[in-house]
Formats: sequence, C-alpha cells, structure tokens
Amino acid sequence: MIRAVRSSSFAIPAAVVAVLAVYALGFASSYDQRLLTLAGVYLILVLGYQFIFGHAGALSLAQGSFFGVGAYTTGILATAWNPGFVVTFPLSILCASLIAGLVAIPVLRLQTHYFALATLALSQLLLLVAVNWEGLTGGANGLAGVPPIEVLGWTASRGLPLLAVVWAIAGTAMLVARWQMGPDRTASFTVAREAPIAAPAFGMDTQMMRFRAFLLSAAFGGAAGALFVHTNRVVSPETLGFGVMVTCLTMTVVGGRYTVLGALIGALLLTHLPEWLRDLDRYYLVALGVLLLVMVVFAPNGLAAFVSRSPSRTAPNSLATAHPADLVRGDVRLVATALSKTYGGIRALDGVSLDLQPGEIVGIIGPNGAGKTTLANVLTGTARAESGTVLVAGIDVTKRNPHEIARLGIARTFQTPQLPSGLSVEDIVETARRHAAVPQPPETNALLSFCGLASIVPIAADTLPHGTRRMVEICRAVAARPGILILDEPAAGLTPKEQLDLGTLCRSLATAGMGILLIDHNIDFLRPITDRLVCMDAGRIVADGPPGETLEDPRVREAYFGLDIQ
Amino acid sequence: MLIAQLLLNALALGAAYALVAIGFVLVLNATTAVNFAHGESVVAGGFAAVALALFLPDGIALPGLILLPGVLALSAILGLAIGALAYLPIRDRPPVSVFVTTIAVGIIIANGLNATFGAAPRTAPPLVGTGGFELAGAVLSRQSLAIIATAVALLGGLAFLLQRTQLGRRFRACSQDPEMARALGIRVTRMTLAGFMIGTALAGAAGLLLAHQFFVTPADGAILILKAYIAVVIGGWGSLRGAAAGALLIALFEVGVAALASQPVAEGALYVAVLLILLFRPQGLFGETQQVRA
Repeated sequence: MIRAVRSSSFAIPAAVVAVLAVYALGFASSYDQRLLTLAGVYLILVLGYQFIFGHAGALSLAQGSFFGVGAYTTGILATAWNPGFVVTFPLSILCASLIAGLVAIPVLRLQTHYFALATLALSQLLLLVAVNWEGLTGGANGLAGVPPIEVLGWTASRGLPLLAVVWAIAGTAMLVARWQMGPDRTASFTVAREAPIAAPAFGMDTQMMRFRAFLLSAAFGGAAGALFVHTNRVVSPETLGFGVMVTCLTMTVVGGRYTVLGALIGALLLTHLPEWLRDLDRYYLVALGVLLLVMVVFAPNGLAAFVSRSPSRTAPNSLATAHPADLVRGDVRLVATALSKTYGGIRALDGVSLDLQPGEIVGIIGPNGAGKTTLANVLTGTARAESGTVLVAGIDVTKRNPHEIARLGIARTFQTPQLPSGLSVEDIVETARRHAAVPQPPETNALLSFCGLASIVPIAADTLPHGTRRMVEICRAVAARPGILILDEPAAGLTPKEQLDLGTLCRSLATAGMGILLIDHNIDFLRPITDRLVCMDAGRIVADGPPGETLEDPRVREAYFGLDIQ
Repeated sequence: MLIAQLLLNALALGAAYALVAIGFVLVLNATTAVNFAHGESVVAGGFAAVALALFLPDGIALPGLILLPGVLALSAILGLAIGALAYLPIRDRPPVSVFVTTIAVGIIIANGLNATFGAAPRTAPPLVGTGGFELAGAVLSRQSLAIIATAVALLGGLAFLLQRTQLGRRFRACSQDPEMARALGIRVTRMTLAGFMIGTALAGAAGLLLAHQFFVTPADGAILILKAYIAVVIGGWGSLRGAAAGALLIALFEVGVAALASQPVAEGALYVAVLLILLFRPQGLFGETQQVRA
C-alpha cells in the first residue's frame, strides 16, 4: 500500500516527458529543440550527481570532471578514428567510471571536507592535463569536427533526430536511476547518511554503498559528457571546467537531490532560465548564485518537494505480536580476552576479559570514563582494540568491520540514540531488517508490536520523545534477529514505567536465548534483571559476579559509590 | 644568485598564501565549516585595490600601503555579509549545506566582478613602488620584500589580537567549545561573525598583495581556495601555525618546481601530492587540531 503510493510518483516524471514530447514535435523551434537536447544531456549528469551528492550525502566536486572525461573520450576517439557511437559512447562511460574507481579507494573513506578537497584537486588536475597535453586534447582550443551520432548507418542530424536520441538515453537513465534507487535503497541511504555511526552496527556496508554511488555518478557523468560533445560537435577544456560542476550542483539543489522528478525539474529549468532571464544580461550568473543560495536556505529539498509531498500514512489497526523465540538467533556466545585500547595516553581498556553466554543478562556498571562505552565499541568493531581478541560464535572478529560483526549476530544501541531524521519508525526498523542477512528476520510490524511501538509506526522518528526514541533503537537492534544484544545506557532518561517495560522485554528475550549486555548506571534497573553484574574502573574489571555479590564488593563500593557510603 | 631571488619570490608568495590560509582557518574554527567563497574574497580584495587606486593622485609614494586599510575594511564588510547570509541561516544543518551556500556566494562575487570589471587581468598598484635593489649580486624585488613585511605585520597584529585582547580570548573560547562559551555569557554569534570579518579581511589583504605582481582576474578564486585548502590540510586541519607553514611549503614547492620544469607541471605535481597525502595520511600531514564533534 505504502509502496504503491510511492511508485506512482514516477507518474509525474513520465507525464512531464510526454508533454515535452508533444511540445518538441509540434511547437518547438529549432532553437527550442537545441535547448531541450541540452536539458536531456544535463538531466543525465544530474541524475548521476544525485547518487553521490543526494543519496550518499557526499559533496563531490568531480562530477563536472566525469562529464569532461566522457566528453574528451568521445571527442578524441571520434576525431581520430571515428569508430562509431556504439564504440565511443560505452568507452566514454567506461573511462569516467575507471577514473572514479581509481580515486575511490583513497577518496571515499575521507570525511566531508577532505572528500570535497580531493575531488576538487582531481578536477583541477584533469583540467591541467586537458589544457597542456596538446597532442592528445588539442590544448586550450580543444578538438573540432566531432561527427554526429551514427547508429547502423542512420545519422542523428541536428534538430529532432538528435533530440530523440538524447532523450531516449535520458529516459533510460531515469529508469536506471529509478531501478538503482527504489524506495528500499533510498531508505537505506538515508540511514547511512543521517546515522553514519549506527548504520554499520546493524550490518550495513556503508563503504560499499558509497562506492557504488560514486561509480554510478561517474558513469552517468561520462554518458552526459559524450552526448554533449555530439551536440556541440567540439570538445574544449570548458567541458572540464568548474562551470559544468557549478551548473550541475545548481540544477541538483534547485530541482531536488533525491528524486528523478527533481533532476528533471532542475535540468529543464536551468537550461531555459538564461533564455527567460535574458534581460539580466551579464548579471545572469550572479542571479544564478543568488538562486542557489536562496534555495539552500529556504527550500533545501528543492522544487520537487513542492510537487510531490511524501504520502501521509496511518497506523495499522491491529498487529500480530512477534514471539520472542522468533527474534533470537540461537547459540551465539561472546568471548572477549584481554582487550586493551588507549586514547591519547589514557588507557580506556586495560586487559578486559568478558564472557557472555546465550540467555544470560550481564550488567556493566562503573564511573564515567571507566571504559564501558569503549568496551561496547570494541566488541562491535566501532573501535578497534590494540590487543586482545573478540570471539563471536567462535569466530575471531577482532579485526573485522562493524557491519561484518553485526551480521554474525551482535546488535547494539548507542548512548545517544542514532536515529536518522526524516524516516518513519517503520522505515527505520524495516531497513535494519533488510540488512540483517539472516534467513528469517521477524516481520517488521510484529516486531514493532512486540516493542510496544505499534501506535507510532508511521511517525518520523526524530519527532518522538526521548524514551520512545530509545525503544525504537532497541527495536531496530532486535530486527537483525541477533544472538547478542548490547545496550549502552538504555535506561537513562526513561520513566520508571518505561524502565519496567524495558526490563520485561530484556528478560523475555534472554529467556528465548539472547545474551544481553546492559551498560547502565541505574542499579535499581539492573539488579532485578541481571544474572551477573560487572563493575569497571579505569579500564579494568574490578568485580564480576551475581548482582548481590558485586554490589557488596569493597572495591566496587570504593570505585563506584565512594568509600563512605555504608 | 638566482636562488636568492627565487627564494625571495617564494617567500613573498608564501606570505600572501599564508594570509589566505590563516583567514580560511579562522572561519573554519569559528564555524567548523569550510568557507568556499574564501578564494573569491581574495579576488574581491584585489579588485577593491584596483578600484580604490583610481582615486589615488598620480605619483604618490607607497600607493599600495595607503590602500591597505581601505581594502581591509571593505573585505571585513564582505566577510560580515558572507557570515550573515551564507552561514547563520543554516548553522544547524550538515556541513555540506555551508559548502553549497558559500559556493553560491563565490559564484555571485566572481560573476559580479566579471560583469563590472570584465574578464581581462587587472593589476593593482605596488605596495611601495617598483624596482629592486642589489644585494651581494642579487637583485631583490622591493615588492617581494614589501609583501613579506606587510604579511608579517598583519599576522603579528592578528597574533596580538588573539592572544592579548579580550576579543581574542573570547574568540578562541568560542572556537574550542561554543556551547560552554555561550553558557559563560559570550555572544557566540558575534564571535562567529567576527571570525568571518577578520578571516575575509586577511583574504582581501592577500588579494591586494598578489594583484600587482600576479595580476587578478575574476576567475582566480577556484585556484586560490584550493591552495588555501591544501595548505590547511598539510598544516593540520584547524591549526593557524600549521596553515602558515603549509602555505610557505606550497609556495616553495610551486616556485621550485616551476623553476625546474614549468608552471603547469608545478601545479599538477601539487595536486598529485595532495591526493597522495590524503591516500596515506587521511587525517592530514600533521594530524587534526579541529576534531569532529560527535
């Protein structure tokens, strides 16, 4: 039902294209046809940029360069040998993708500001090569005399034939973009973008997602560049200049960075805008800058957001509740041995060993800075231990990535709930369920019902009160059907009633065989539900035993409560 | 003695780059965001000097130095506008948003200048007159020496401002922990805007210093922001001293490689070097001063 509403949003782009077709055939002058052709070229470029800038959320400044690489590949091959469009077009796409693949390894793991710099340096480097390697590229003048598109002896001459070819390819590009970024994957990218630390913790390979997005953006850019050269019949360094990048960025921001409709609006509007704003003359580009600024400040989701609002949804009336036994992956044992980790001279973990059996609830207490969260981070791969080993179900995961560890059956929550903004509770849990990589993940709605969240299924998670956000995060963690659950300060900020519900939930999961590690300060919450209580201080475990014994231990009383309290 | 001349040129270029890079870091520390319009601010400073020079009487001594206060003031106003329009309205959004708004401001400045002055290179008056003097067989350019002296004086003034004045202490407090600073009653927004004003004023001054010898065109901003950016990555993200060191290194590298090979080779080698640095040291050459706040 929800999916059906979303899929129909493709109806609007289809209708726009149909109207354009009628306009192009019946009313457009040859100049209008040229503008429409350019709009089709830019549409492909923008669709590509949406992958990396929109969905992956990374500011790539190399999209114009992939366009230029595609342009030069076609330009050089076509003027030197003219092997035909069926050869040059795929090669243009390939060359742009290859360059993206080459730089992706060093570049994609970089944080925002370094990623932008690296892609900018790459683009300047390519521009330098194009201007200075005159033998290959024709230098500053470029290469003239690029032949028109020829397929099987038919020539796409200027005007309608070229327009038809470009828009046929642009139409294909829209379908590919739609196929690559369906509702499910869009939700996954939203999570990876908005909650980058949490996403790997439930099995999401965010690096691979970014890599794919970057390659796709380059491939689309290369295709657009190739078509641009066939439209202009010349290739010059301008195709590699920052101007193309700025045009692409503006189109994406003005139209919208996530949807096919957004790309369509951006490309059509900004290719026609110079014509409509002809009176501004030399100041047109200034106006363009103002438009870009105003859009980011006042309409960050672009014009497309005004056309198609996301459908409002209602909570389902009744839901079947999941059985705890269906939520637990059996027989996952966690064994950590002699873990050590330092942060700038502070020993956050100093030889910590811990054993968590299936069905066991272990609480971890300790003063602030004792290393509790570091332990959770090291166990789940979010941080890496300097020495020691972590075994999950008998497999050494000490050097594995978080998403790999998660897939072996460890799930976790975070001290500050890491929930993406803009997604509904259902989407968040559903996304985690899809990335779980287990044979029978629980039904999302049954799971939500089990966690007592049935009534808030359609609500955006970022609008919920704190206690409910925590429960959503726990629900998301359980969605992967883990064998081990690590909860970092789950009771903090919960009402007594919520704490009680949380305790009951933990107990029923443990009874079904889940091993649960509870990091918390609240002794009243921990004491009745834990089988063992571990106390940490200064990176070491100072006590480990039944709750009663641990709380009586003099070292615990010293470390945690201060000596005087009797 | 060619080496002495080359070294002096490199130091002069490095001094001007240092002003740009330090201005970049001031804004960075005040906002944790990259001000992409910073390159265009340098260009705007150069054109401000070109425009103001029209009002100078002929044959005046120290023409460039006389223009300096005016360029600093105009650039500070520009910085205030950038901060108020492109940063404050979206300060709570992800950093990518500020990238895009400042790119937009860069487009506005570059094309505004292009529409007003045209795309041809312009030159600003020299700081203290042209020519050079001979020292142990080397001809030392007066302009190069004046650039170094002016940059050192400006940076000395900045150091005094940051270390010795109440404004500087407040500014540094805001950079380190804006929430704590606000809790202590410091007006963080004002300090942020002060960062934009001072940072952009330094960029404008660099524009004046560069615009005599190297000319200035409206399209120069992209290269200048890239150099400042690289200097900051080399010197350590968020470090003022590091930015100055990075700027000097870049200038030495550029002038050195250009003397041995050519200017395009020097620029290309610089970009390759940056990509290699990011490959092997993803946290920059000397580590980050400015940590990402979780």
